[in-house]
Amino acid sequence: MIATGLRRALSPAVGVDVPAAINLTGTLLKYLSLTAALPAAVAVGYDEPVWPFVAAGAIAGGTGIAMEVLTRGHEDAGIREGFLVVSLTWLLAAAYGALPYLFSGEDQLANPIDAYFEAMSGFTTTGASILTAIPELDHSVLIWRQFTQWLGGMGIIVLFLAVLPRLRVGGRQLLESELPGPEIEPLAASIRDTARRLWLLYIGLTAAEAVLLAVLGWTGVDDRMSVFNAASHAFTTLPTGGFSPEARSIEEFAAATQWVIIAFMVIAGANFALTYAALVRGRFRPLVRDEELRLYLFLLGLGAAVLFFEIWTEELYGASESVRHAVFHAVSTMTTTGYASTDSNEWTSLALVVVVALMFAGGSAGSTGGGVKVVRHLLIGRLLRRELDQTVHPELVAPIRLNVRVVDERTLRAVLAFVLLYVGLFAVGTLLIVADASRTGLDLRVIDAIAASATTIGNVGPAFGPAGPMGSFDPFSDFSKGVMIVLMWLGRLEIIPVAVLLTRAYWRA
Amino acid sequence: MRIFVIGAGQVGTTIVEALHAEHQLTVVDTDAGRLQAVSQRFDVTIVTGNGASRQTLVEAGVRDADLFIACTSRDEINIISSLLSRKLAPSAKTIVRTGNVEYLHVWRERELDFDHMVSSEEETALAISQNIGVPAAKQTDVFAGGQVQIVELEVDSHVRHPQSIGVPLRDASLPDDSRIVGIIRGDQQILPRGAEKIEAGDRIIVIGSPRAAREWSGLMTRGRRRVDDVVIFGAGRAGVATARLLLKEGIGVRLIEPNAERAREVADLLPKARVLQATGLDPEFLQRERISQSEAAVFAMRDDAKNLYAATLARLQGVDLTIAIAHEAVSVRVFEQAGVDVAIDPRRLTAEEIVRFAHDPRTQQVAMFEGDRYEVVDIVVRDESDLVGKPFREMPMTGTLIGAIVRDGAAFFPHGDDVLQAGDRVILFTESRRVAEVERAL
Repeated sequence: MIATGLRRALSPAVGVDVPAAINLTGTLLKYLSLTAALPAAVAVGYDEPVWPFVAAGAIAGGTGIAMEVLTRGHEDAGIREGFLVVSLTWLLAAAYGALPYLFSGEDQLANPIDAYFEAMSGFTTTGASILTAIPELDHSVLIWRQFTQWLGGMGIIVLFLAVLPRLRVGGRQLLESELPGPEIEPLAASIRDTARRLWLLYIGLTAAEAVLLAVLGWTGVDDRMSVFNAASHAFTTLPTGGFSPEARSIEEFAAATQWVIIAFMVIAGANFALTYAALVRGRFRPLVRDEELRLYLFLLGLGAAVLFFEIWTEELYGASESVRHAVFHAVSTMTTTGYASTDSNEWTSLALVVVVALMFAGGSAGSTGGGVKVVRHLLIGRLLRRELDQTVHPELVAPIRLNVRVVDERTLRAVLAFVLLYVGLFAVGTLLIVADASRTGLDLRVIDAIAASATTIGNVGPAFGPAGPMGSFDPFSDFSKGVMIVLMWLGRLEIIPVAVLLTRAYWRA
Repeated sequence: MRIFVIGAGQVGTTIVEALHAEHQLTVVDTDAGRLQAVSQRFDVTIVTGNGASRQTLVEAGVRDADLFIACTSRDEINIISSLLSRKLAPSAKTIVRTGNVEYLHVWRERELDFDHMVSSEEETALAISQNIGVPAAKQTDVFAGGQVQIVELEVDSHVRHPQSIGVPLRDASLPDDSRIVGIIRGDQQILPRGAEKIEAGDRIIVIGSPRAAREWSGLMTRGRRRVDDVVIFGAGRAGVATARLLLKEGIGVRLIEPNAERAREVADLLPKARVLQATGLDPEFLQRERISQSEAAVFAMRDDAKNLYAATLARLQGVDLTIAIAHEAVSVRVFEQAGVDVAIDPRRLTAEEIVRFAHDPRTQQVAMFEGDRYEVVDIVVRDESDLVGKPFREMPMTGTLIGAIVRDGAAFFPHGDDVLQAGDRVILFTESRRVAEVERAL
């Protein structure tokens, strides 16, 4: 379908200015290539090979410039081209992210599919990993893993919207296709200022967490918490990523560290516009009154309570540990971070079902979390209630409200369409993974396949079984990994921008 | 007084009819035919021209006016001509008619320097809610745009309320945000001092918030059914204003509007109302939605004939109380003849409100109780009044009691420590023969 679409695209009478989209994507890739400087600096600091990052940066930069040069004169990408730009950018970003892994000469990442999986999991803030022995990696490669999540969390394009003047045209639509949730809430008069403020807040929160964690390390509360670890975990908490340079996620860290991480995961999964209003402007009223936030916190509490009940009655841990693990895993799963404070693979099947349910709940709109998003559940709940009300009273006119404001019927339809696509893709993903597992003889329970599909489309991270929180996605075949790469990509962009590319109407004039 | 009336439509004509005998009137309208009709009936000066034109007003002699009434059917014309009059005749009082409740809010927030602003939608809404709002009240009046309500209640001898009735007032548990301003026992008026009691058979007069008024009426009618479901047909401005007022009093409202776009707009505007998109003329629909179970049905559609038809249909379905808005003067009689319980003429209400203000521009509204023995007066306190700056506990206890104060557009119900300020609008209860005395004192 893409092939026919592209063929149409290249014929003269097309509705999409493909060269312009390629041109803009090239520009984005060119600037993205500069991000290799950070792991390169770390490599210099730890006396590790620098060339993988320099080479990756040079290749990405060169490709970007080549894309620009080849399409010179097509600099005006519009709203329509935006979908293509967003979809392409994320595919190319993951390719760029995979280069240092391939160049590092690390056996675990030698297979290009594995490297691409790891990079896609990074940029989409999923946190699923094919690595089997994480601590064997160089510091620079580890920090690159963490850094890709941090870049992908607030959005690559959002970042460039904040700094590049060129993207100002059509910026809103680009921002909407990258920021999670049905509608974006502008923080400032211009999209550029909004993007800038979001990034500043994101940087500020990341720095705050890094400092807090480092302080825990210095004061001896947590012996394992080095400065490297503090920075690494701050890089993957705020984007709700979930990568950790540790072998067993954050299990080895002190309880205090885990509670700090819980707090920052909760913030990362909440709407950044609300956090901005509260922290920067000192306006707490919208925060307190927000209906989505209330449901978000309620679901977190409910999930934690059920998990606690399950693991407490199973007597897996002591009382305070049970509370911590229940809260940690509820928060980590629902915000789609994917850290683990213990191996939840050992839990009962009811607890596992709760975890899968939390994967579908997802974070809030305007957060860095993945999944369906709490606000969509809220709106669908209200839609269903209205539907029932209208069966009895067909003439009833009842607009659906969110925080007093009436929600546009178009937005509601988009929400329904999104959830249908999401559930459909999740089902197809599960089916393909199950079929492939039986083909390759991989020992996989149905719940494991369900979790693998839900965790990748929801950008959560760990699944169950072999790919559990302390396990690896390595046992899956290349085909299954490919399916999951597509699911991560679709999940991060919230499906629609990609799905649009598959319609004939998009390409036609 | 020299009075200018801009607009010779139904409202203008009614005002002229009420004021022409005592005052010198100049009527301005663009329609020469309508002016002709007015001048044939009444001895007034007529000027053909645009009331919002400076030249027309100056030539008509607006500089000598004492009172300026802008009452065309167009809001913007009324506002512009009144703004001109403020400039040309700064000493003249201005009364402005508006159809838009939003403009009324602007005026209440003191952003428009007019002496009085009357909205026909609001007058209509107030009249309707008076008819259904407080079932136990013998008489009820609303002041300060619905923020203050005055109710006269009869204390039934079978009402038992050990905490409220038969207990000295200072110990009685009574609704907040309200004051008893008068107790009438037989022929006697009793001042509601702390030691007095409410007794069975008394009639009491209470000034309070609409919520408190409902609580009072609940207190006096224990066990009687409360009004909590009113159906309004037609979500035009009058319908919406009525719905808004009823919702504010805690009464449930169903709005029926045939136009899909308007229905959606209104559902957006009034989150607490249930909006149904239907004509209201379909018996099957009325039956299915159990319209007959509502306590009252209000017909606020634009077409009088439709209002009458729908009201008759609703009566057939078994609605107890039907209230219809009449847009033509003659419709009131038609409605009443046809069995509609209450017919309301918004233009007449507007004109009456304007005339009431014209009689004493300082007294905004007057309600009479017990025939005309007692009055509730709404008056603005002058700067030079002796009572300004005095706490209420120090005011002399005569037959006059201040029940509510409207300050900066918001009403409150004063206690002993509160102090009267210049510019306060006070709503007070007094014997009719003392009104002049009270007006002098304030």
